[in-house]
Amino acid sequence: MHAARNIRLCTKDCVCLFVCPTGATDTENGQIDFEKCLDGCRLCVDACPSHAIYLVNDNYAPPQVKGQKIKAMMLEMAENKTEQEKIASGIARDAKSPIARQLAIALAVSSRISAEDCLREAGYMLPQGDEVKKLLRALLNSQQQDLPKETIQRLLDLL
Amino acid sequence: MDDMHELSVESLSALCSNLAKACSKQLRTEEASLFDQLASYYKSKSKLPEGKQFTDYSALVLKELNKDYAEISQQAAADGDRGSLRALTWGEKVSKILRSLLDRYEKQKDSMLENTNVYVCEICGFIYIGNLPPEICPICKVPGFKMLKIQKESV
Repeated sequence: MHAARNIRLCTKDCVCLFVCPTGATDTENGQIDFEKCLDGCRLCVDACPSHAIYLVNDNYAPPQVKGQKIKAMMLEMAENKTEQEKIASGIARDAKSPIARQLAIALAVSSRISAEDCLREAGYMLPQGDEVKKLLRALLNSQQQDLPKETIQRLLDLL
Repeated sequence: MDDMHELSVESLSALCSNLAKACSKQLRTEEASLFDQLASYYKSKSKLPEGKQFTDYSALVLKELNKDYAEISQQAAADGDRGSLRALTWGEKVSKILRSLLDRYEKQKDSMLENTNVYVCEICGFIYIGNLPPEICPICKVPGFKMLKIQKESV
């Protein structure tokens, strides 16, 4: 578990610089040096008067178990949302009027966000979760010709 | 269950773009960029349909409002699946807004959006028409800076 800084909240009180035992908070890029940060130390988190520092887990508890039926239903709803995104993107590509195009783009963005939300609730919330790893392995073994296999393999190595 | 054979390239793209966001939240920048690459790859495999109208989009929204939300919410409630219920509650509210926007657009056409802006909530997909984004999203309650402004570009 390491600390991280939310630069939106940071008001440069710089108390983190005083309390950090390793100097991990003293960087020039606005973020904490994750390599130097001590696992779970949290001195800076508790000291920051602006509540701008928080802890990021290295490991997450497995997500709540979902029923097969609801997972399948949420996947189906995601498919409906991506179908909407496709239609809206098609309209955006063909529309002559800038306003129709603007509306179509807004609809495509909205449908994508809704699709993502359904997929998250279909068991793919946590990148490190078993469902995601299972899916990545299955994708890696698929027959698709120009599949970016190195990208998928690298993800499996990192997650 | 072999998910891969069930998921379209479009859903695989959405799945990967969402995992990219999740990795960014965990400040895992390399993983985020890899998932973004995968999302773009699957998006490039998607064939956009020809000759579609806004009414085709509305038809899918209506199907969800008339049937899907009620059915799936029932299952989620039976399972005690709070996460799915939350997503379905937001989704249904967003779909209702989209339905009324598209109804209005059918009647008023481009004049509906002529002197105003269009925003999409990056968290729940709510579409807002107005000069300035609302202070908080009326559906998912995130602050207004999460509202993405959709530009009016000429083709």
